[in-house]
Amino acid sequence: MGSQPVYDVIVVGSGAAGGIAAFVLATKGLSVLCLEAGRMIDPGEDFHPHKMPFDWPYRGHGKPGQYGKLPQGMGWKITEWTDHLYTIPQEDPYAVAPGSKFTWTRIRGVGGRTNVWGRSCDRFGPLDFKPKSLQDGWGDDWPVTYDEVAPYYDHVEKLIGVSGLSEGVYNTPCGQNLLPGFHARCGEWLIKHGAEKLGIKVLPLQLAVLSQNYDGRPECHYCGACNNGCDTASRFSSLDVLVPKLKKLKNFTLRTNSVVRTVLLDKDTGKARGVTYIDTHNGQEYEASAKAVVLGASMVESIRILFNSKDRNSPQGLANSSGVLGKYLMEHVAFNDIPGFFPQLAGRPTTNDDGPGEASLYIPRYYYSKDQKKFQRGFRLQFWTGCGEGPGHGASLPGFGSAYKKRIKELYPANVSIGGYGEGLAFASNYVEIDPGGLKDRYGIPQVRFHTTAEYDHAFAIRDYMYDEMERILKASGAEILPYQKVNPSPLGAVTHEAGGARMGDDPKTSVLDAWNRCHDAKNLLVVDAASFVSHPEKHTTLTIMAMAYRAADHLAEELRTGSV
Amino acid sequence: MTDEIIGRRKALKYLSVLAASAAGQEFLAAWLPAAEGGLPAHAPHTTAGQTPELGSTSPFSPKFFSPRQFATVETLTELIIPTDDQPGSKEAQVARFIDFVVFSAAEHQPHLQEEWTEGLALLDKLSREKHGHDFRDLEGSEQESLLTEMSLPENDPKASHPGFAFYRLVKEMTVEGFYTSKIGLKDVLGFQGRTYLSEFQGCTHPEHQA
Repeated sequence: MGSQPVYDVIVVGSGAAGGIAAFVLATKGLSVLCLEAGRMIDPGEDFHPHKMPFDWPYRGHGKPGQYGKLPQGMGWKITEWTDHLYTIPQEDPYAVAPGSKFTWTRIRGVGGRTNVWGRSCDRFGPLDFKPKSLQDGWGDDWPVTYDEVAPYYDHVEKLIGVSGLSEGVYNTPCGQNLLPGFHARCGEWLIKHGAEKLGIKVLPLQLAVLSQNYDGRPECHYCGACNNGCDTASRFSSLDVLVPKLKKLKNFTLRTNSVVRTVLLDKDTGKARGVTYIDTHNGQEYEASAKAVVLGASMVESIRILFNSKDRNSPQGLANSSGVLGKYLMEHVAFNDIPGFFPQLAGRPTTNDDGPGEASLYIPRYYYSKDQKKFQRGFRLQFWTGCGEGPGHGASLPGFGSAYKKRIKELYPANVSIGGYGEGLAFASNYVEIDPGGLKDRYGIPQVRFHTTAEYDHAFAIRDYMYDEMERILKASGAEILPYQKVNPSPLGAVTHEAGGARMGDDPKTSVLDAWNRCHDAKNLLVVDAASFVSHPEKHTTLTIMAMAYRAADHLAEELRTGSV
Repeated sequence: MTDEIIGRRKALKYLSVLAASAAGQEFLAAWLPAAEGGLPAHAPHTTAGQTPELGSTSPFSPKFFSPRQFATVETLTELIIPTDDQPGSKEAQVARFIDFVVFSAAEHQPHLQEEWTEGLALLDKLSREKHGHDFRDLEGSEQESLLTEMSLPENDPKASHPGFAFYRLVKEMTVEGFYTSKIGLKDVLGFQGRTYLSEFQGCTHPEHQA
């Protein structure tokens, strides 16, 4: 082991967080070893966006029961299009405490979940970074301001390519160098007019999908199947956009099939000196050394590595002198959509409504109230309209026979559903830990147990208000609402927007990371994924993960340059 | 190498389980014309097990259902999504898809097989009680009338019917089988997506945008 190189930085993970951090560090000339737990993914072999349901043996659903009982919110993700990409829970189980629910979506492979992500890219606003001091005195502020993060949003948007240029609205800033947004579908226009009658603004949706050729990548080809992987790299993924740039750099090394188990600390200085990892080909454990270690393995995996790195000096887990590691997990308040149809669109000729695989428009947060009797903060609304890959809401109507079939066909182009995300709150009682029952993963590494519930008072209250608002907007748009049931808020993780657990803060007693994503306890050890989040506004998470990772890596590079690490 | 193996994991898992038994070999031979009774050379991207649609000339023999049961399943699917001025379950061979899925449920979801077997027996029992014959031997109007009775709780949450759960199972799998078939999804519904477009125009109707 004596001849092993000492890298400037080891980056753990190659997705949104690790990929961006590795890119920033390597393009600044630092030697970077990126360790990815999964395999290389080949878009030509692994992505099948243009296969139709009838091209698969089970029409895409898999053999009955093949994937086991999937946690809530995962059924649409793991299909015959994608089951070779995702980690299937029953094959690689995790523990959930009695009475708790957690939906943990994992992709072990280069690019991680950016291969199939939802692609929405809205910035957090000024109030979102300071919810306690600028909104309602509840929870905690981030140790950074919007103005401090804004330049990094600019960098990331330029790097990944984001469409949906907009003027922005209050507390919902929009980058000013974006590509144009996408054309709206018929139903989206109807919602826009309906919402505007109520004084509610509808804006272009920011998406990491190209509305024009950009950076050597072609404009979207509008097949709508981004969630199955893109064969033209027209949406951002770390695999398709960052890895090709990184591979050209001699100072960048990507090592796949390398599952990091622990971070190693130097006994004398207390600083990180490297990691141990397991080569999944042979099951052997190896060490790699570096001047700094950046964890971007995903919220859960980064926290798991820190817990599993416990030693005599830190029996509660590495970087956990505060005792808050694993705590304050968050997720959007999410639930079912309200289904409906537009009578004025019924019976029309069908159209290809795939577009960029998402809506072209959305409703940004408009509810700002100091009255916190019911719930805190706000929500965003989004809608899906038109002809989809299936019969739509008509199929849920009662009856059978020719009339039923004709009604499905009639309503098919008229389908609409509206849903949304509310701000999720951070509670210490929502936490993840190493399973006290001793569960280990397939490599013998202790696995996590979740202790989380989404069913808290605020979540029900904001849900009720959102249902009312969604109905009001549908009605104002001329839609007829179909019967639906009000359901409990979805489990944490169900939106794949899990965040927190190694939160940032100025006070080392109440937070794990400082304002530069450095562990208070070891300043050359960084966590740059969503584990760092302090709050969980209604906006999507990934753009902020990438902006914070960019910012942290930029700062680390400067520290390494000046020798202050 | 390892990457290739992982990439084929799903297909290999599916094929190897079937190939392990004599019945499975026969099944594969029927469903994989190119395989000639063996395993296809390119597992991940073949349409292994794909439900044949039109053009299958050889007589079909169901793999899970008995011929009598299968005739009932055909009748049921054609009642749910009939052939009218547009093709229906008959043309899309929805009953064959259901037979394929229920057969394949043996490995991970055997209770689906029980639900079908017991459901079909219940259907005949209800049919004999009401009309004196097994379901498939009834007049079309009698079949429709019994199915309508079984469906009543869909319209009236206070109603109940012993055949309702089976009705829902038949309806859900028929709707799924039909609207995921080429005939159902593309020809009848008119789905045009999952393809390359040079541009996306969105709404082209001034009356919606005004």
